[in-house]
Amino acid sequence: MTNLPLWLIPLFPLIGTVVLAAISLASTGSKKGASEGIVGGLAVLFPLLAFVSTVVIGWNMPTQGVQETLGTWIDIGSFKASFGFLFDSLSRIMLLFVTGIGTLITLYSTGYMHGDRGFARFFAYINLFLFSMIVLVLSDSLLLTFLGWEGVGLCSYLLIGFWNADVSNCKAANKAFIVNRVGDLGFILGMITLAMVSSDLLSYRELSAFLRDAANVELVNILLPIFAMAGLLFFIGCTGKSAQIPLLTWLPDAMAGPTPVSALIHAATMVTSGVYLLARLSDLYVLLPGVMTVVVLIGLLTAFWAAVAGLFQNDIKKVLAYSTISQLGYMFMAAGVAAFDVSIFHVFTHAFFKAALFLGAGAVIHALAGEQDMRKMGGMLKKTPVTACVMIFAFLAIIGFPGFAGFWSKDLILERLYVSGPMGPFLYMMALLTAVITAIYMGRLMVLTFFGKYRGGEESEKHIHEAPASMLIPMVILSLGSIFAGFLWAGLIPGANLFEQTLAPVVGQAQAAFGHASVHVSPWLFAVLGTIAAVVGMAVAWKLFANRRIPLPKGSSAPEGFGATWTFCFDKIHGIVISAFRVLAWVAENVVNRFVMMLQWLVGGLGELLGDFASGLQVAKVRLQMALSLVGVIALVLIVLVYGGLL
Amino acid sequence: MELQAVYVQILALILFVIGLLTAISRRNVFFVLMGVELALNAVNLSLIGFSKTLPGDLSVAGQIVPLFTIAVAAAEACVGLAMVILIFRNQESVDSDNYSGMKG
Repeated sequence: MTNLPLWLIPLFPLIGTVVLAAISLASTGSKKGASEGIVGGLAVLFPLLAFVSTVVIGWNMPTQGVQETLGTWIDIGSFKASFGFLFDSLSRIMLLFVTGIGTLITLYSTGYMHGDRGFARFFAYINLFLFSMIVLVLSDSLLLTFLGWEGVGLCSYLLIGFWNADVSNCKAANKAFIVNRVGDLGFILGMITLAMVSSDLLSYRELSAFLRDAANVELVNILLPIFAMAGLLFFIGCTGKSAQIPLLTWLPDAMAGPTPVSALIHAATMVTSGVYLLARLSDLYVLLPGVMTVVVLIGLLTAFWAAVAGLFQNDIKKVLAYSTISQLGYMFMAAGVAAFDVSIFHVFTHAFFKAALFLGAGAVIHALAGEQDMRKMGGMLKKTPVTACVMIFAFLAIIGFPGFAGFWSKDLILERLYVSGPMGPFLYMMALLTAVITAIYMGRLMVLTFFGKYRGGEESEKHIHEAPASMLIPMVILSLGSIFAGFLWAGLIPGANLFEQTLAPVVGQAQAAFGHASVHVSPWLFAVLGTIAAVVGMAVAWKLFANRRIPLPKGSSAPEGFGATWTFCFDKIHGIVISAFRVLAWVAENVVNRFVMMLQWLVGGLGELLGDFASGLQVAKVRLQMALSLVGVIALVLIVLVYGGLL
Repeated sequence: MELQAVYVQILALILFVIGLLTAISRRNVFFVLMGVELALNAVNLSLIGFSKTLPGDLSVAGQIVPLFTIAVAAAEACVGLAMVILIFRNQESVDSDNYSGMKG
């Protein structure tokens, strides 16, 4: 069967990066910069080509997927790694929405970034991000995934600090990069742990084959502690990239970047790569019930904590950031009870509605000329009706209103949590409570932004305008996605489980191996309870915030009082850890370092003494030296002759 | 009459001692180098002499080693002379007793 080669997919954004970077560099001298029409056209074209080739390859893909090895990457002794791509049903789904939503958001950005001096630079970064993300998803081994993993981290850093004239943006970028580094260390150590067993295990296919092979059962049982170590370390990597406890503080700060970046990188694609990695390594994780418990608890805590913290935010983007963290917590919960297909399904639906929410928020910010504080908004429903409709659809999707995308995926997560075992009912209750809180804080966002009266100044009210078409089209498409994407796996409708069937070849076997308690509860019950949670949350939000006087901001949009303790909780914990390390560093510098230097001086002094002594033995004359060495040789020969050896 | 191997060795020994004594006793650095070369070739001669005591095929090894030695000695002479020239430029002298720069 002839099909397009896989390397074509990452190639297009790479070409885009090079071309746009060249344009950006070439136009640094000119005052106005390169033509926005050409740059924007190119910027959208390359992701679109990647999307089209993904669709073509995905359409012709055989059930078991395609693996393509491009060549040997590393070959040193017992460590071998090849450079190859794996296109199976899991990477197909990820790639489809990465490139698809990537294209839409790039299109949106051409409107949003209009008039920015760094227009070409922005799109060069976006293309580089898409390239890295495609490499991350498409690679056939952990090593190449790590390359993409680092690449998306770099692009995240570059784009958070895109407006680098403001030093607080640079600080946010640094924070994201450094916090991610902690997680990446976990990823590296995890790879080393696996490679200690065999470097072949770094390849996804080899790893799955090794772990699934019945002949290896005893070997795997012996190696289980090593695998548990590797699983835990990879999970630390995931907590960094996907902003889970304890490495979650960077994501709210990452909102310093342009809004399309928040939508693309910090909501729809990059932050979900941790969930992707768990699903990729599903064969490994199902063997480790202890690690899975950690995953589910971390997910639960993160989802709950971030939802509560989201209640206190005044910055519209920060609410969405905490909401993203909370939704990622849901995905990790699902992965933690071995419902990998459900977690990927939630990644998929979340990508639509969260991207729509962020783009809507971006349109609101655009309309208000950069205002992000919700206390200065209000009544936007009449002024920007299209944006408001998009936001309302996405809002209904995220709170799980029946029929919308989030309803189906969240319901499946709740259902899987309930039947997961003895802890199930507890997990279910907490997740349901989190769903109520989700509806409250999202409801608060909608009420403060779109209902009531406009609370900004009269002068700024006149300038409010609906976004241009290049921004509205992607928003409308994404809102359609957040309405209908859920029907790919509608649990209540028999036969509508296309998504589950698609993912079955990759994760089905692992999930079956994990084993579920055979509790059968009617899915309708879960659906009804989920709906009640959404409706109650909405009602509470309406009651609390619709008619209340909103205190006017006092300058900063950061939460105050009780809210601040929730929001900054983990920053404070990080601060304590960092000061502990400062103490360690002080000890290392002043005690350990001194001691080592003392040893150095000791050895050096001894060497100097010996050297001085030996150089005193030197005689000045060349001939005498030669004669002496001759005498030495004769003496040695005599010793050998007489004693038959020196010893 | 076949040449006795021991005479070859005696000749080699005499040449070696002459070379060594020249190298030690002469002060002119060129004579020192010549003495070293002489000693070197005495060793070559000794190797050839021993190789003659071996039967046909095996004796080839003893004849090849001196060829290598000669090649290395040529290189060594090159380097040695070049060094002598450089030292002469610095010290304005060919007397090896003046070369006391090695003293620490």
